[in-house]
Formats: sequence, C-alpha cells, structure tokens
Amino acid sequence: MRDATAKARPAPRLITLTINGEVREVMVRPRIMLLEVIRDHVGLTGTKDGCESGTCGACTVLLNGKPVLSCITLAVECDGKTVETVESLSEGGKLGDLQEAFLDQGATQCGFCTPGILMSAKALLKNNPKPSLPEIKKALEGNLCRCTGYNAIVDAILQVSDQGVAPLMK
Amino acid sequence: MSKLKYVGQSLKRKDGPDKVSGRAVYTQDIKLPGTLIGRVLRSPHPHARILKIDPSKALALPGVKGVITAKDTIGVKHGFVETPRYPADQDVLAIDKVTHVGEEIAAVAAIDDITAQRALELIEVEYEILPGVFDAETAMQPGAPEIRPTHPKVKEDLVNIAGKTETEWGDVEKGFAEADYIREDRFENQLRTHGYLEPQVTLAHWEGDKLNVWTSSMGTFIKRAKLSRTLGLPYSQVRIHKTYVGGTFGGKIDLYSHEYCAARLSMLTGRPVRITANREEIFSAYRHSQTLTIEIKTGVRKDGTILAQRFRIINNAGAHRGSGVVVIFLAWGFIMGPYRIPNLKYEGYAVYTNHTTRAPQRGHGAPKVRFAVESHLDMIAEHLGIDPITIRLKNARGPWEQLPNNDNTHEAGLIDCIKMVSQKSAFLDKWRQARPPADPESPLRRGIGIGVTSYMSGTLIYPNGSGVIVKLNDDGSVIVLTGALDVGQGAETVLCQIVAEELAVGMDDIKLITSDTDTTPQDIGAWISGMTYVTGNATRQAATHAREKILKVASEEMGVPEEDLGIEDKSVFNLHDPQQRMSYAQVFSASVAKHRGDTIIGEGFWRTMRDEPTHPSLATTKGRWTENYAFSAQVAEVEVDIETGEARLIKAYTVHDCGFPVNPGLIKGQVDGQVSMALGQAFMEEVMTKNGYTLNPNWLDYRMPLIHNMAGSEDFEVITEQYRIGQPYRTKEVGEGLVSGVLAGIANAIYDATGVRLTSAPFTPEKILAGLRKLEREKARELA
Amino acid sequence: MILFDFEHESSPSAEAAVARLNEVSEETRFLAGGTDLIPNMRIGITKPERLISLTSIPYAPPTLDAKGWLEIDALTKLSEIEHSKLVGDAAPMLAASAHSVAGNQIRQVATLGGNLCQETRCLYLNQKHDFQFVEPCFKRGGDCCYPFPKNKKNVCWSVYMSDIAPVLMALNAEVSVLGAGGEVRLPIAALFTGDGLRPHTLNPGELIRRIHIPPAPSHFGWGYHKSTVRGGLEFATALMAVALEVKAGGLVCSDARIAIGAVNEGPVRLDKTEAAMRGLELNPANLRMLADQASQEVNPLPHHGFSKPYLRDNIRVHLKRTLSLAVERAGKGLKENRS
Repeated sequence: MRDATAKARPAPRLITLTINGEVREVMVRPRIMLLEVIRDHVGLTGTKDGCESGTCGACTVLLNGKPVLSCITLAVECDGKTVETVESLSEGGKLGDLQEAFLDQGATQCGFCTPGILMSAKALLKNNPKPSLPEIKKALEGNLCRCTGYNAIVDAILQVSDQGVAPLMK
Repeated sequence: MSKLKYVGQSLKRKDGPDKVSGRAVYTQDIKLPGTLIGRVLRSPHPHARILKIDPSKALALPGVKGVITAKDTIGVKHGFVETPRYPADQDVLAIDKVTHVGEEIAAVAAIDDITAQRALELIEVEYEILPGVFDAETAMQPGAPEIRPTHPKVKEDLVNIAGKTETEWGDVEKGFAEADYIREDRFENQLRTHGYLEPQVTLAHWEGDKLNVWTSSMGTFIKRAKLSRTLGLPYSQVRIHKTYVGGTFGGKIDLYSHEYCAARLSMLTGRPVRITANREEIFSAYRHSQTLTIEIKTGVRKDGTILAQRFRIINNAGAHRGSGVVVIFLAWGFIMGPYRIPNLKYEGYAVYTNHTTRAPQRGHGAPKVRFAVESHLDMIAEHLGIDPITIRLKNARGPWEQLPNNDNTHEAGLIDCIKMVSQKSAFLDKWRQARPPADPESPLRRGIGIGVTSYMSGTLIYPNGSGVIVKLNDDGSVIVLTGALDVGQGAETVLCQIVAEELAVGMDDIKLITSDTDTTPQDIGAWISGMTYVTGNATRQAATHAREKILKVASEEMGVPEEDLGIEDKSVFNLHDPQQRMSYAQVFSASVAKHRGDTIIGEGFWRTMRDEPTHPSLATTKGRWTENYAFSAQVAEVEVDIETGEARLIKAYTVHDCGFPVNPGLIKGQVDGQVSMALGQAFMEEVMTKNGYTLNPNWLDYRMPLIHNMAGSEDFEVITEQYRIGQPYRTKEVGEGLVSGVLAGIANAIYDATGVRLTSAPFTPEKILAGLRKLEREKARELA
Repeated sequence: MILFDFEHESSPSAEAAVARLNEVSEETRFLAGGTDLIPNMRIGITKPERLISLTSIPYAPPTLDAKGWLEIDALTKLSEIEHSKLVGDAAPMLAASAHSVAGNQIRQVATLGGNLCQETRCLYLNQKHDFQFVEPCFKRGGDCCYPFPKNKKNVCWSVYMSDIAPVLMALNAEVSVLGAGGEVRLPIAALFTGDGLRPHTLNPGELIRRIHIPPAPSHFGWGYHKSTVRGGLEFATALMAVALEVKAGGLVCSDARIAIGAVNEGPVRLDKTEAAMRGLELNPANLRMLADQASQEVNPLPHHGFSKPYLRDNIRVHLKRTLSLAVERAGKGLKENRS
C-alpha cells in the first residue's frame, strides 16, 4: 500500500567534516544530527547520546572550537567545519593532562557524562588557562552528572589548571 | 599482619582510562550488522480494557520485519518479587487490560527509526476506558476502582492491597502507657526518579540456538534468569554480555519489557534488534522511586529514651507489585536499625494505583524513612528540652546488640559516628544560634541539622552468592573472572585491589573479565549493597586459593617450608634469605611441569548469612536480613532566604562506619554523589503527574542538581573492622545509605534556620514561605 | 532524533532567505541556532517540510550608530553578546540576560533573533506525544487544553520564556523586521501579541534583522533578575528587568520601565507601577511599596508547577531587590558624573 500523501524524500547530501583532524565525507539527509554522524557514520562512539534533546550535555563536542550539543545540531549545518570529540584528547593511546586529572580526582564514575564534560572543560581551558570556580561552573552548567556531585570534576579542572589541588587517587 | 599495600589505598579506577578516553563500550555503542530498530507501543490510558489489537497494517508496511503482541508471548509473568506469597503479576506485553500510562502493548522491529515509528502508528488498538485511581489512600478504600485483587492474606476491608508487612514486638500499649511524652506525626514524600544518564537500551541477537543480549543493567545474572523464563528458553541459551553501564541508581534491575521485546523480535526476525527508550519514555512509562506516606507515634521518657513506636506506612506502589512489597519490608529494617525500640508495632501497605510500576532507588526507601524518623525525633527532643545529639546518643544502638530478627549489630560504630560528626561539624556550637548574618539587613539564615542511618550490606536474593576465579598467566600476571558489574561504583577497582593485596601483584598486572553470564561465575549483582562484601570475599578467597598453590609449588622447588615464604612483586621469597626467590612465572612453569599441568587457578565463592536458608519474610519480617549493618551520622548546613523561601545545602558532613574502607577515594566519590542526590531530593526534584500522566518527562522540567548546586562535602570513616590477608573480612555498604542522613539533616537544618518544620518533601520555596507566614500569624496571635 | 524528513537549504543573505521563503509553497521555517526549533521538531510541536538556514549569512559585530544607538545583528550568538565589550559597556543588562540563558553549549549557537522568536512553553506542550496527551491541544491545532480544560478554543495559557525580551522592553529597544516589502523598524513590544497560540506578530516570511538599543541617559540604573530553581540550565520561574532614571542630585525617579517575563504569554510592562515610580523618591520603603504594588499588578499564569501566589511572592521580593540594585547603579552613575 502506498501512502498517497507521501512525497519524495529529500535527497541525501554529501558533507565534508574534519573530525579529529581527519577529513570525512558522509551522505546525510537533512534530519540527521551531527551526533549520529559521529557515532554511527564515522563510528566514534566516545561521544554519548543521553537525551537526544539538548538537555544533558553528554553529546558535547567542539564544532570549530566551540562546545556544542551534537544531538540537536543538524549534520548538514556542519559541512566544511571541524569537529573535535573526546577521542581527540589522547594521542597515540596516551591520555592528555585533563584526562589524567580526571583519573587523579576520581572525577569519573559511571563515565557516561565524562566525554561531554571533558569537551566542555577543554573549551574552557583553551581560552582561560586558570579559570575561577564561578567560571568553571558557568562553563559546565550544561553538563549533567548524576554520580559525582561535581566536586571531583571541579577539583580535576583546578588540578590541571595548576591551582593548588593535589591528586586524590594514587 | 603484614602492611597493606593495595587494600585501604585510594587507587585510581581500573576502568578510568577507558572512560576518559571514550574507549569504554556501553550498550548503545555496540554495533552489529543488519540491526533492526525496535520500538514499543504504549498505552495512552492509565486504566483501560484492551478490546482488540490489530497489527496487520503495521505488518504490511514495507520495512517492518516483525510485530509482537501478547499473543506472541508464552504468557509467563514476571515481577521484582516472585515468591509463593507474592507471585509475579506483570505481563511482558499487556494481555487484557492496561493499568498505567505507557504500559507495553506491542513492539515492532523495522529497518529504520522512521519506519518503526510509522509502524507503531499503524497498530490499531481498541480500548474500553476504566476509571483510574492515583492516590494510594483513596485506592485502598472499598469502592475504589479495582486495579488488581487485594492480596488474599490481607483480611481488612481494603482494596488494591498488593501486599502488607506487619510486625510487632514488646508491648506497644504498655510502652505508651509508661511514656512521659507521646507524639504523632505524618510525613509525605514526592515521586522522584533515578536520573541515570545512559538511557535504557537493549541489543538482542538470536543466532538460531543462542540469544546474545547487551543491556544496560545492574546485574547480568538476574537479567538472564528473568529473560530466560519469560522467553521459555533454558538459561544456557541466553547470554548477557558485559558492557559498561551509564548509571543505574536502582532503576535498571529486574526485567523491563523492552528487553523482552528486543529478544523476542530478534528471535522472530533472526536479526539483531535494538530498542532504546527515549527520555520521555523513561520518565513517563518506566519505573521511578516510591512515595511513602509515613505515620509515626512515639512514646518517650523525659530523658529522651524511646519506649514505644508505632508506624503505619502507605506505599503508592503503582500498577504492579514491583518492588512495592519490598519497600514496606525494608522500611521496617531502616526503622529498627539505628535506635533501640523496646516496643514496636509496624504496618506497611503496598497499594496498587494507576501509576507506573515502581523500582528500587538508591536507598530503597531509607531516605524517606529516615527523613520522617529523624525529623520526628528532633521534634520530640525540642519538646523535652534535649539537644539533637544527646537524644540520638541516648537511643543509638551499640556494638553486638541482638536485633529482634536475630541479626546482630556486630561491631557497630554508630555511637562513634554521632560523636564524631557532632565534633567535626561543631554541631552544638552552631545549633540554635540562628547565626544572624554579618549584615543585619540580610535575609539569609543558616541552620544545622543531623540525621542518622543504618543500612544493610548485602542480603539474600537471587542469585544469592558470588563466585570468582583467579588464574595465573605463565608470565606471572593474573586474570580475574567475576560476574561483578561496575555501574560506576568502582567494583572492578576494589576487586583488583583485593587480588593485588592477596597475591602481591601490581594493579596493572591484573586483567578483569567481568559480568558475562557465559564466561564469568555467577554474581549477586550491583544492587543489594553487598558487592564489596560478598564478591569481595569471594575474590579474596579465590586469590588465597591461588596463593596457596603458588606457595606449595615454591616450597617444593625452593626447599623452604611454606610458613617461611613471603610474596612480593610477583615472586616468592625466603623470609630468612630474601635473595632466595622464584618469580611467579617460574612457579607457573614448575606447577605445570610437576603438578600434572596445574596452571594455578584459584576458586572463591561467598554468600552472606551462610546458614540462612533464604531471605526473611517480606510479610512478617521473620528471618535474618543481613549480617553487616553499616551505620552513619550526617550533618547538613543550609542557608535559607527568609524573604524568598529559597534554600540551599552549604555543606554536608558524613561520618560512617563502613567496616574496612578498601578504597577511601572511591568512598568519597560515593559520599559526594549521595550528598548531591540528597540535595536534589530535598530542594528540586519531583516527577510531576496528573491522573497518571507525567508532566515533566525531560531534564529541563525535572530538575536534577547542576554544578551550580554543588555542596561542600567532608567524610570521615569510623573503622570498625580490619583487613587481614587470607582472612574473611567485613566491609559495609557505602553506596546507598548515605542519601538518608543528609536529607533528614537538611529538613532539621531548615527548622534550625527558620523555625519551619517541613513534613513533606521536597522543601520548595513555596512551602518554606508558607511555613514562615504561619509562624508570623501564630506570633501575632500570641501578641494579641 | 527527528522522525520525519524535511528539506534544508542555506541562504546567502537575509533578503534572499525572505524571498525564498515567500517563494516556496510548503510549510517552511527559518533555522538559526536551532536550539528551540530542533527540539520542538523532535517532539512534533512544529513539522516544517523545509528549513531555510540563516547560519551562512555573514553578520557584523555589534556597533554604535551615529546617534549612539547600539545596533546588534539578530544572527549574533548569545555567547558573543555575553562577551562583547561594546555590549557590556553600552547595554550591560543585555549582556547579563544573554549570560543567563540556558547553558554554555546552547549560548554558543543560539542567536539573539532566535531567542526572541522562541515558542511559548507549557508542561503538556513541551513533550513527545507518542502516548501521553495524544489528542492535540489548541496550540497544536486540536480541540482541548490539558492544563486549563475550561479554556476556550482561542485561549492558550502557555508562557513565553525569553530571558532577553523583557530586557529589551525595559531598555526601550527597537527591532528591524525584514519582510517581502523591505525592512520595518518597530518598538520591541510590537513583536508580541500576548496570545499563547500565536505569540509573535511576525508573519511567515518575516525575519528579525537587527535590534537597536538607545543610549542610556545619564543617571541611569538597571537591574535584572532571573529566578530559577538551580541557577542555570533552566527557563525562568519568573524574570524581571528594570531600567530607571533619577533626577540629578538625588534619588527621585524621573523615568522607569519594568518588564516581567516568563509568567505570561508575552513579556509584560508594569505600566501602573512605572507611573507610580515617576516623581517618587526611591528609598527602601518606597521600593518595598512599589514591589508590593507590582506583584499585584502582574497576573502570572501558574506554570511548570509554580502557583500564581508563589509567583507573585517571588516577583515581589526579587523585584524589590532588582529595583534597589538599579537605584544603586543610578546612584553610582550620579557620583561618577559629579566627580
């Protein structure tokens, strides 16, 4: 049975993204979100899908250097842009300082919010190497974490920005 | 006793590198070729008879590969509790009627998400709407719409009773008669949800003779049991694989219909099927916590000694029995743990209503019970002119007290907890000072309050015990096979620490293979606060077993008696001549060569309450509950704006008797997280419903704490147990019980700051303002 | 995830976008930051068949025009407004309001124009309707109102929650609207109908082009407060924006504008309270009196679980504080002017 009201589906479009330094070409229909491209088309599953409605921050990636919610960003809007995901934070399997600080403070528990929080923190530290507590809170207010109560996350950012917080864990 | 190197240290998480790098694989990250998208058709009505389900149009839609309804099931019911008294009452897909909004009616599998959505829209269901009932106390009354028959053992003239817990000891009436002061209060609690970040998601793949399942859960073995039974498959045909789990907090135990549907649809289509619940489904159709209404009557002596207590608890259990009949049992346990109650009468009712089915939630009722009891106790203390610390010390249980159910408090550190938290928070210096701010114009008032809790550390429920295998590699490193599931609490790290200590190997020398029902031993799961104790002791035993084999072989090879051998750095050495040593690699070779190929495998197993045949009676509380009670005392400091009613938690102090702290850093993480949950419960979280529909099924309108709401948190341990290598040890729970004291402390602190006594959570600005106005009116009346 | 297909095209200029939208026949929406539109499409409040993206259109940073008016392109991102030195100097209240919107990630892409054009909100409206509230409500073209079942068909008490619109009202801002017939400049208040069903006066094919904010007079003070439960990542419980002027040499009010947001179908000015302020000395007792009056003048809709009496209480206390902050700032301005 054919739906009489069915119209031709919009043609998929070829878009080019530079994801973590690698140029990727993907075919997408307009309704496809950047998150789906990253996770399903490119296969980088570090970025998490927590609410698909822009309310939890688990899908945060950097788009042209800015932290955005990839679950409410249309992929076709990202043509020609650069994307950085959590996978970009370690190089050759070696963790970056920010990641190490999260381990030092026990700032990850279930770990599901962690990739998004790391990307929000990275965006903050890039422009503000020694953020104050209110600045940290403002930068991370869009990232929910249900496990840690946020204390350890703040400590990790203070530690990596060399503001007098010593590692908690050995 | 040798010095501990790994156990007792704040060692970094074993799973940490996976989680900060994005390598950690959660269920939503598993990709299989040819996977179909599954969706569930849900009831739009809170209570309705299903007259007809016609999936034919959906089946005819191109791209739809399968549709299932109740007709495609074998009709086996399931439930959180499945006992002779409380048989399962939940169908995986509704058969003749639906009893809550969002109840599962059918499921589809299609080639993509849009097709699956269209297929759902094409399933035709005819309903006959039935009257619904949503308030538990209304639902109990004769004449209320019947959701399910009242439990046959409940002889009162009440309807919709899913179960009742009733117990009594001493002579309550006599206790009240002897009391100098008697007080009665009633407390109410809001509906609250778990708020796990990872949505409920299941991927199932039927391979003709084997069902492979990846699902976000809290215990793989109980999932296997329930899935096997509802599908009619032998356990051996169902394999639940390990994945990382993005938060649970009680909300992912038991069987969920989408897990069944993904499995059944995969069996029908022969293709992998994934079902992911969207956030709205989780909020408006899945299981939340339970809203207990708690009535307390207490009689005390002038000095504050509790003589008698009577409790009546009503639980709005939702559409099925769920864990509703467990909460009314546990509530009793959370009442009788911390304080001596010589005479007690307890009644708890679980009542069916047309709300969604309920689940455990971190603390499983304890926060609500302790909020009520600790508030009530402060009110009594005020009447008697006693401070909150003194009245608690007066009634607190000490070590080695025999409880009415024959449990024992063992080395209870509660009295020390209360004393230490009082001292650490300078409680009595701050209490009742109202602490006028530096600026006399300021509307901000500070207050301080305390709450006390005890919590079980593991109990008996399927699968009741944990096994662990520790095996040596021929290079001397170690592989641990355990069914333990790390849901964020740090199980993998803690178990590694125990193996590292027992075998003198580095944390990096240990590889874990976990929570896979085919390859790892059975495990109790991450949901009864017993993992460090039960699976921890199984792990210790397995490592000990391996160590004994190592020492035996080394003793033979080195010609040194076993008692003269020590171990360090993956090698065995002569205590009297430390230069004489053998690496584990050498020991391994020798063992294989001379012990008929023995590759040095250690086995361990553990069960709490070894001699108890089964768990206690949910109906009568008879039988032992746990052999390890954790105790804690917590203090909250709050700040209240008396003009706006806006309040916040400034700082929480936690002092707890956790037995032996295997990893203090991980414990701190558990404490901080529970403080955050408590402040959310106190000030901001509520699932709003109207006639069974959920009004705020998203994270904008259901407000979980943000980084802005972070509170200061300090924790201190009262260590009542020691870890001895090769000896059983008692750790106590730290992951659930510590929401309670903070929540109770906040309620008491608001009173300290403002004089407003709140008996219903959450403590919103609106309620605080109403309380302040009432006080003003009372003051005005007194003056007039 | 949006479960229906639609076309998407980018427009090189605002004029081209308007022309294109007037040319196509299917239901079409402009797309800027998308932080309101995309979630609304996901839950099916709106189901456009085509999006015309404005995100490739170049826009200039905020400037001061010849008369000293601050001019901001409607495509400017909220994070850019938040951090713009010029906006911070010329219209700090606007910067403060942009800073208070949603969360950081949203502010990176959400635009000024988009914030003003956001859809109204209601607990029943802002969710998927797969199995809850399946029958469409008035706002969704249907035949019922879930929260207020007795409402007539042309009445929707959903709430307009822009954090920025009340600020622009208090600042007497103007807005340039581009339509098929060219650009029209209007007072900001002309954007809003006060009708929950159709909260904006913009016609399809019309587009907010830029915002104009007049220079602050001397002896000017402002106050802004967004009441929330958690201090962030939230739409407001209630929102207040105050702009006032005092006469030289004292605290006598010469002019005042108060706009309240998030409690009605559109932002509202408190005309009576403003009138009462003019000529009044803004001492603490009078501010208290004015805030009391204002809390009676507003007629908040109960929304998102907040009752009408509570919203009045919230506005009464926070407006008093906001007013005193504005007076304090005006006073500081006086001192600076004197020295």
